[in-house]
Amino acid sequence: MRSFIRGCSLVVILLLFLPMAVFADDSYTFNVSEIEKKPYHFGGYVEFRPVLYVLDKDSANYQLQYYNQDRGSTLMEWNGRLQLEGSYEKGMSRLYVKTDTDYRYSSYLGGDERTAIFEGYGTLKPSPSWKMELGRKVLKWGKGYAWNPVNFLDRVKDPNDPDLPMEGYIMATMDYIRSFDGPLKTFSFTPVVFPVYDHINDDFGIKNRLNIAGKVYLLLYDTDLDFIYVADGSRTARMGLDFSRNVTTNLEIHGELAYIRDDRQPFLDANGIVQSKNHDVVSGLLGIRHLTAFDLTTLFEYYHNGMGYSADDMRNYFLFIRKGYQLYSTTGNTKMLTSAQTLTQGGYGRNNPMEDYFYLRLSQKEPFDILYFTPSLTVMFNLNDRSHTVTPEVLYTGITNLELRFRAGFIQGSRDTEFGEKQNDCRFEFRAGYYF
Amino acid sequence: MRVHKIIFSLALLLLAAPAFALDASVLLSQVDRNLNPESYETYRKLINVEPDGKKKEFTLFSVKKGTDKVAALFLAPASEKGRSTLRLGDNMWLYIPSVGKPIRITSLQSVVGGVFNNADILSLDYAAEYDVVRLEETGNEYLLHLKAKNRNVAYDQLKMWVDKGKKLPTKIECLTAAKMLIKTIYFKDHKDFGGGIVRPAFIETDSPLYKGYKSIMIFAKIKKRSFKDEVFTLTYMANLESLR
Repeated sequence: MRSFIRGCSLVVILLLFLPMAVFADDSYTFNVSEIEKKPYHFGGYVEFRPVLYVLDKDSANYQLQYYNQDRGSTLMEWNGRLQLEGSYEKGMSRLYVKTDTDYRYSSYLGGDERTAIFEGYGTLKPSPSWKMELGRKVLKWGKGYAWNPVNFLDRVKDPNDPDLPMEGYIMATMDYIRSFDGPLKTFSFTPVVFPVYDHINDDFGIKNRLNIAGKVYLLLYDTDLDFIYVADGSRTARMGLDFSRNVTTNLEIHGELAYIRDDRQPFLDANGIVQSKNHDVVSGLLGIRHLTAFDLTTLFEYYHNGMGYSADDMRNYFLFIRKGYQLYSTTGNTKMLTSAQTLTQGGYGRNNPMEDYFYLRLSQKEPFDILYFTPSLTVMFNLNDRSHTVTPEVLYTGITNLELRFRAGFIQGSRDTEFGEKQNDCRFEFRAGYYF
Repeated sequence: MRVHKIIFSLALLLLAAPAFALDASVLLSQVDRNLNPESYETYRKLINVEPDGKKKEFTLFSVKKGTDKVAALFLAPASEKGRSTLRLGDNMWLYIPSVGKPIRITSLQSVVGGVFNNADILSLDYAAEYDVVRLEETGNEYLLHLKAKNRNVAYDQLKMWVDKGKKLPTKIECLTAAKMLIKTIYFKDHKDFGGGIVRPAFIETDSPLYKGYKSIMIFAKIKKRSFKDEVFTLTYMANLESLR
């Protein structure tokens, strides 16, 4: 805890000496050189993010992760991130690359660094109606904020930080756009070719498949509508639709519906034996976003995860871990814990592995006229076992290109619940990010 | 006889009224065309000024077509670069590159903070959103009283002072239905942008709701340009940079 506070204090002191990008004088100028377009662009983002975890040593996930180590009651982690992006444009073509270097250090695990090309693709735009792209990219399909059940071709995002950039997959896409007068204002069609071979998207699913998918977008009666289809291939066939519409000028409603055919799901039965079942899955999301006259934004979403585990499934899983831990403690045998780790990677350990959740985020812009200051509160509630997280947060953007965020996460839940069995009771995170 | 005189006067008034209404609407349309061509591109800088004089600046590239299509792309600062906003009729969206998909926003929000809101940044023709209720003459200016055509328009009422000779606004007061003042917009510093476009290059706004704060919009370039309708679509928002 002391080192966390020291780290945050050091950052704040350093920031006080940063040259202030906002300056106070009465001149308002706008030179033409400021808008000159160059064929190339280079920029990036650098972030420093210390996190303090207060561990729950009695939780099943703590026992699974740290069964052969004593982590103590807190874990201090230091994170750094550097993202670089560059582009070059000539005529109707463009090249774009974005890299991400993520560095993490903790006293227990030491340092760990990973660099990846998050996106890297070429674009051809012969006209405003046509665009072709080839390379590594992220599609970001879906209208939901915390979850996107229809986003079949991207990695799953973290609902605790939905705006984080993600590593894309290699694919070829095309956009064809047409505009009309009348109730149907826009039609666009986006076909996707998505290969899965050795070293090409090989973590996506069954290899040696060329996957075909497509999305149709309509702006119909002032409603955004998407229809999505992914054919059988590396994963089973799936289809989805989503919508978004303003009900009033300050109230927006959105939703998604996904159908996955013949999905294979591993699960643990009451006897602790790993089984699997194939079944058709329906997942859905419904949400609203509302803005008041005094700039309070409320975002509420309900999510049904058709691939989710029931409360009984999760109880069996946690019981299995505890039995495994007891076996290890008494005999040193790690077989059950190793099986439990495989199950965790297979589905039980993903974000929101159960069936029904709601998400509420309240965000107030500049309360009490404190400029560039935005406090928020986020609640994620598991409707199946009533466990939940509460995350208060404050964001400050008073210095141009600099974002300062402090958030705390508090977990509530009894034993054998999703959040109650997380390896930490709470966490405190500070993030300083700078764009250049 | 007296009754005949009254009827005759009323008839004259009734005949005159449509002519008056037509002139005021024509004037409003002239104001719109004098401010901007019907289809154009422009570069603007938005500056939010705090009471202590500190400033935050945003540089935008904007395109507009017809009465209901506007798009804007942020060029600076680095934290905003690549963001874009789109207005298509009553629909408005914001695209943030790191988020990767557009989200719907409202006209009363402000993507840049300060006194200007999204309706000011993605403004349509006044004639497209307002009807003229009354026209007055005050010295060398007209005073137009405008009423929003529907509830989706940002401000319920406007009072627009228009220079008689130049047919350009000098000041606009934005009001609620209860005639409460939301903000005042001042048009200053007339400049010849070429192509027959001579208009205020400097727009300043302040608000009794944000005492001591002001926001400024400076135009560097306005040029007539035609666009395909497909530019003003959700799918195209990530590609606005290619229009420059």
